[in-house]
Amino acid sequence: MTRIARALAELVEGLRIALGALSGHRLRTALTTLGIVIGVTTVIAIVAIIQGLNRSFESQIQRFGAHTLYVSRYNWVSVSGDWWKYRNRKPIGETELKAILRESTIAVAASPVVSVTAAVSRGERSSSRVQVTGVGSDYLVANGGSVDAGRFLLASDVDLTRDSAVVGTDVADRLFPGASPEAVVGQKVLVAGHPFHVVGVMERRGRFLGQAMDNNVFVPFTTFGSLFGNKRPMFLAVAAPPGRVPDLDSELTGILRRARRVPPGRADDFVLNRQDQFLKVYQGLTGALYGVAVGVGLITLVVGGIGIMNIMLVSVHERTREIGVRRALGARRRTILLQFLVESAVVAALGGALGTAIGLAIAQVIALTTPLAAAVEPSAVALGLGFSAMTGLLFGSWPAWRAAHLDPVEALRYE
Amino acid sequence: MTDALLALDGIARHYQVGSEPVRALDGVSFEVGRGDWVAVVGQSGSGKSTLMNILGCLDTPTGGTYRINGQDVQGLSDDALADLRNREIGFVFQTFQLLARSTALANVELPLVYRGVPRRERRRRAEEALGSVGLSERMHHRPNELSGGQRQRVAVARALVGDPSLLLADEPTGNLDSATGEEIFRLFAALHGRGHTIVLVTHEPRLAARCPRAIRLMDGRIVADGPGRDVARIGADGGAA
Repeated sequence: MTRIARALAELVEGLRIALGALSGHRLRTALTTLGIVIGVTTVIAIVAIIQGLNRSFESQIQRFGAHTLYVSRYNWVSVSGDWWKYRNRKPIGETELKAILRESTIAVAASPVVSVTAAVSRGERSSSRVQVTGVGSDYLVANGGSVDAGRFLLASDVDLTRDSAVVGTDVADRLFPGASPEAVVGQKVLVAGHPFHVVGVMERRGRFLGQAMDNNVFVPFTTFGSLFGNKRPMFLAVAAPPGRVPDLDSELTGILRRARRVPPGRADDFVLNRQDQFLKVYQGLTGALYGVAVGVGLITLVVGGIGIMNIMLVSVHERTREIGVRRALGARRRTILLQFLVESAVVAALGGALGTAIGLAIAQVIALTTPLAAAVEPSAVALGLGFSAMTGLLFGSWPAWRAAHLDPVEALRYE
Repeated sequence: MTDALLALDGIARHYQVGSEPVRALDGVSFEVGRGDWVAVVGQSGSGKSTLMNILGCLDTPTGGTYRINGQDVQGLSDDALADLRNREIGFVFQTFQLLARSTALANVELPLVYRGVPRRERRRRAEEALGSVGLSERMHHRPNELSGGQRQRVAVARALVGDPSLLLADEPTGNLDSATGEEIFRLFAALHGRGHTIVLVTHEPRLAARCPRAIRLMDGRIVADGPGRDVARIGADGGAA
């Protein structure tokens, strides 16, 4: 009981002494914490930006049809080893699409996707490098996205090989400057020299991995085929109901093996790609960045910690007589140790708090002035504060130990 | 014998300075009873300071036994010595040794902080101790806002606040002018009158002469122990009896 009371009283006293000593040397305290401030600032800013990137990447992935499988000849993410093997595979095409539409009980939507870069123009105005994509009428359901004005492609557009087109906002802005999306619907444009009717304008999607997502034109894949030929590599976007992606995966594997006549015992000659594969690769990359940030942070914290150790040694030296007095009045070694540990931890935590604030501010400024996003999770702040306080304790322990082991007689006599 | 507050028997304190052995104290034996007022006199180098450090449990003897309040300090741990100082000893130093950044009140509270006394109780007792040395009006002043005499009064209040068995004063008037020194000396006399046990270390025979009892040290040995007036006179004659 009294032991707890005494320990508590000593802790409070230690805190009081620490704050008194620190406010008595404001400039020195500020300079001491500078190292910690810089270290924590760096780490918090980097972590904030990485977390912001992660979050925006994940939300964009989400918009992309998280429940969608992309049937392709090759693996999108890890094109490992023998790409000839992939290249010589039978192309994915209408046979597979029809088989899926006919046999799948799980798929909610399926659409082919085939692209080319081509010029799109209207009178004098033209845009030379537009992504022209041939799709089916279920494309939006399968892949995500929505129409801002007009309508998307209909099954009849596909079946009748109509010259219907849905344009992205970048294309609409370029060819019809100042016009509202509604005004663009019903206009005519030339895609690779061929006239198309604009039936709809897509909603703006922004950028993904630094790539403009709105510089595109969607046309029926049938029309696409008659215009650009059927040799271009096609893939199929097939959507599952939420939570049933693994079921769809196994069902599609069966359907496709039959449709492509893969003999039993032979490996699949197709790949069911998923968007979250990108996420894994991406997280691998940012994981490495995290490592670098933590490394930089640790180095600066060590430098800051040495600064704290230095100033604490000075502080102990300056207060030799005070230590002697306290020991004479009944302070135990542990009490003196605690007093100086509290002081160094407080200095470091102050630096940590300041560094966190500055780091967050820098991240915000970067987020506002560059395309980079910034977000801060409470864990990052806790990490910054925790690490800096730890640094204070670690590097303050030797000076505190020295203070605690001063000979009271010598300390009292010290001039 | 067991009744004495302080009992020293054959106390020795030897140092090694380089290859030279120094016998700061060499077989010092005496007792101090409760309520006694004893002056320790001697020239510098006589062993006064060493004796005071041992009496105050800041240092431990290399030989002999020292009992305070019946407890042998030999073999006590550092923590136990700290607790013993806190409970049994009230120090008054020549240079006051107040904490500059703390108020008089906070300075006086300090021994109670290390004893784990609750805050309110601490405050009450510190105010009381400051009142008993006539400083109720200056409690919230810092040492640099106080005169030398007032500072030493704060130090005396700090020594008294924990209600220790022994007041141990090391040249308490050494840094004061003679009028203020006299004032502080009278304060000790008054405390003696109230029953406190006091050991006063001084090099001034004039002060020792006014103490009921004095011990004269020379070269680490007791050369005289008797009524203050007699012991002081030996010093005034200029050396050993």
